Amino acid sequence: MKLALKILLRELRNGDILTLALAMVLSVATVTGISLFIDRLQSSFELQSATLLAADRVVRSPNELPMEWQLKAQSSGLSVANRAWFSTMVFTEAGLQLSQVSAVTEAYPLRGEYLIDKALFGVGYATPNSPAQGEVWVSSRLASLLEVDIGDDIQIGEADFSVTAYLVRDPGSSASAFAIAPRAVINWKDLDKTQVIQPGSRVRYALLMAGNSELLDDMEQWVKPKLNDNQEWRSPRAGGRGIGATIDRAESFLLLAGTLAVVMAGVAMALASNRYVKRHLAQVAVMKTLGATPKKIASILIWQLACIFVFGSLLGLMLGWSVQAFIAYSLETLLSTALPEPGLDKIWLGIITGLTSLIAFCLPLMVRLLGVSPLSVLQPMGRIEGKTALLYAFGFIGMYSLMVIYTQGFLLPSLMVLSVLLVSVLVASIGFVLFKLGRKFTAGATSGWQIGLAALHRRLQSNLFQLLVFTLIIMLVLILTGVRSNLISDWQSQLPKGAANHYLFNIQQDDVAPLQTMMSGLDIEASDWYPMVLGRVTKINQKEVNELFEDRKERPEMLSRELNLTWTDHLGVDNEIIEGVFDPMQDGFSIEFSAAQEAQITLGDEITLFIGGREYSQRVTSIRRVDWSSMRPNFYLILPQTILSDFPANYITSVYVADQNKQGFYKGMADYPTVSLLNVGDLIGQIQLIIAQVSQAIQLLLGFIVASGALVLVASIRASLDERLEEGALLRTLGASKSLIRQAMLIEFGFLGLFAGAIAALAAEACLYGLQVYLFELSASFHPMLWIIGPVLGFVIVTGIGLFAGRSVLKVAPMRMLQAL
Amino acid sequence: MSDSQTIAIRTENLVHNVSTSAGDLSILKGIDMEIKEGESVAIVGASGSGKSTLLGLIAGLDVCSKGEAYIYDEALSLLDEEQRAKLRGKYVGFVFQSFHLLPSLTALENVMLPAELRGDRDAKAKAEGFLTQVGLSHRVGHYPRQLSGGEQQRVAIARAFASAPKILFADEPTGNLDAETGKVISDLIFDLNTSVGTTLVMVTHDVTLAKRCQRQLMMNAGRLSEAQ
Repeated sequence: MKLALKILLRELRNGDILTLALAMVLSVATVTGISLFIDRLQSSFELQSATLLAADRVVRSPNELPMEWQLKAQSSGLSVANRAWFSTMVFTEAGLQLSQVSAVTEAYPLRGEYLIDKALFGVGYATPNSPAQGEVWVSSRLASLLEVDIGDDIQIGEADFSVTAYLVRDPGSSASAFAIAPRAVINWKDLDKTQVIQPGSRVRYALLMAGNSELLDDMEQWVKPKLNDNQEWRSPRAGGRGIGATIDRAESFLLLAGTLAVVMAGVAMALASNRYVKRHLAQVAVMKTLGATPKKIASILIWQLACIFVFGSLLGLMLGWSVQAFIAYSLETLLSTALPEPGLDKIWLGIITGLTSLIAFCLPLMVRLLGVSPLSVLQPMGRIEGKTALLYAFGFIGMYSLMVIYTQGFLLPSLMVLSVLLVSVLVASIGFVLFKLGRKFTAGATSGWQIGLAALHRRLQSNLFQLLVFTLIIMLVLILTGVRSNLISDWQSQLPKGAANHYLFNIQQDDVAPLQTMMSGLDIEASDWYPMVLGRVTKINQKEVNELFEDRKERPEMLSRELNLTWTDHLGVDNEIIEGVFDPMQDGFSIEFSAAQEAQITLGDEITLFIGGREYSQRVTSIRRVDWSSMRPNFYLILPQTILSDFPANYITSVYVADQNKQGFYKGMADYPTVSLLNVGDLIGQIQLIIAQVSQAIQLLLGFIVASGALVLVASIRASLDERLEEGALLRTLGASKSLIRQAMLIEFGFLGLFAGAIAALAAEACLYGLQVYLFELSASFHPMLWIIGPVLGFVIVTGIGLFAGRSVLKVAPMRMLQAL
Repeated sequence: MSDSQTIAIRTENLVHNVSTSAGDLSILKGIDMEIKEGESVAIVGASGSGKSTLLGLIAGLDVCSKGEAYIYDEALSLLDEEQRAKLRGKYVGFVFQSFHLLPSLTALENVMLPAELRGDRDAKAKAEGFLTQVGLSHRVGHYPRQLSGGEQQRVAIARAFASAPKILFADEPTGNLDAETGKVISDLIFDLNTSVGTTLVMVTHDVTLAKRCQRQLMMNAGRLSEAQ
């Protein structure tokens, strides 16, 4: 081991081991950085979702839950809380008001905090407690309606309570507009004395649990078989399935893109190993002549690889950790939101990556050293014996396995391999033609141009390989940059400044005008006001929906529930007619595109609606594409006014309320007790946060990918360094100046970078077209900047690194070089 | 010199063929020879006559196609690579034309290497002693690239003797050196050989050097004969 370490440390100076170690560090750091960052993102999301549940898991039931369940949860080490909620009349001397009352145990909430305030319609401050016995927290709206202040008494059922705070938000309430709904919270121990809950009362109970995921999983397995049809097991993931799945997909996408960095680092490792092996053939042969047995050589190599693995992994883990921590920190400063600490269980992914890279790219080459004949000290063999196909197979299997581990599936890795193969063929063909042409038009060796372009042609195979590597890297950089700006610009275009953050619904016709007046007084602008009537689709082209879709579970969403139906004399800006004509004065339904697709409804089909006990049949006269993310009210079906005018409608609208207007707005809304208000600002904030976080993760990835690519170029130039030194020495001996050799290198690397950048811009433009049209559902746009950034990036990076890695060709005196050869 | 009757190296009808695109090429065509312990033998012959191949086979670096080579009565073709390496470590030292020092190790570390490979604990002291003997006590911490050709060969000689070999194989030891340095190196080899009592087998083109050996064997087209 001592000898192995000694040789290894001395070899660090030589560069190959350093390249190898750096590649290992980059591989591990890339995967560690991404997986830890995404883990924090995931935990952050789960924590936020858990806050919405007020727990990690909840069992909901219309009946009191068996005490056995609670005892089971407690005995297994979970924290437990209870909540019951019901509608009841709340009394004061001034009057009475129907309210939603919750009774909670002391431990509630297990996740998140109550937001309360001592001022009416205040913005609230967090408190970890729940109301004490005999106390009640009431929403500002309920307090306004009942005309009570802090310290006043109210009566719930048969019990009196003292108002001690205004409730701003209950963490367990999915609607965040607590302040403006008539609600109250009391202590669980006061529930009985209210005598509100009688047989037949409509009460809902919740058993809330929190603890580590293994205990929760065990509890889930224990409880789920015992649930009846009316009881429900809820988890944060189920609560926000969409966002959770999006983060999962983002992780797969980023790790898959990160695979490219790992592959690049792997290639750098293979190149460095190959050079290391070549340089050590004679040394190993000498050691064998000195009595080193194959076992001894193997043990030296294994010790060296183990050291590279341990140090590479450790440094990689530290770098990955530091980079993600730095990004999380900068996000925290930027968005004032701290991400939860990453879980250590994600570290294994980086370690597996390092080990797999070493086994796939390094070990097979190193093993060749074992087979070196000691006779080669007397009769140099010239080349290493070994099966090249086996080497490629090792590399491929290693990387494919990693991709499968990252994405937990075979489809994406297979698609990626095919895509890379396709790009490889394309790049090799274009590169071959370009290098041939370059050589053809610059015959001779008297200028830097001629020598540089000739070098591109002479080292055709290695240059085509470098061209491919850099095309892939620049392409990915351009795509990721494009995706990142698309993500941000798409979201920004969806949410222009002043996008609605509150929905108002259940608005009576008579309340529309006064509400408009109240809001315009506060300088709050509402979107269109839509009347809503409930109805159900019963037939399509005279065929019963039940017959068309027998299995209820398989039924399209539009056909499986009552729909909010509306009419309007003009379409909002977020609606686009893609088939037919929208004419509010004519008969006919207008249907939303994706709903129509799911229900297999096309233009001209007849839809029968059941509204208020009557059936209405009309044909579909237009199909609309709706931008659901516009934060405005939108509808699957828009009907002619003639139908809806028969029914009493209530209205819906959306408004943007700036922070400074919120208190005034909520106060104003207290005059409309029947109007429901939904605050979606928190949801928007959460999504904005995720977009910013994913965008940062992309930036992290870009850094790693460029670094791995740089390492490949360094390793690849080092692989041809002996040849370059020989050429340089020869040219210098023949009288070539330093500047001529520098110019030749500049031309060689410059053109390599320019070609790679131009091909990458072409490929990235094609990929972005696909992503824009199919993923982001935007209209395709041309990206002229790609065509500038690609070649410039290629030129700068490849030339810079190329000249740096090949600087010894310029520095060393011709005589010294010739002696060294 | 030890018992003059002990045979250090012996070959019996040693044949070596190599495969080429034009078919099998016979390099050695039945070599019979004996080298006694403590003897110094030069193998001379034209380029391509098979000198280095013979050296490789009798040193256990390769296995013959037919016949047998023995080091101290150990039949080399019956040993696997592991056992041959151990045998080399036990009996054999080498000096090469192109020195073959490990560039990442200092002069001292290069000399210590054979002992370290065997797991000897006093490798350093021995190595320093040998470097002093070859006149390089002031260069122990230098890397091969910092040494001249003659100095590198002296390190290689110190390395060869540091493992206390019973047989020293030298392949054109002065081939890469100027005449003056070559003379110093050859003196060193013969002096050490005499003082340590090692068997010396040397492949060389240099007639003067060959004549300093007790016996000269001539390789000619794969056959070996005593030189006149």
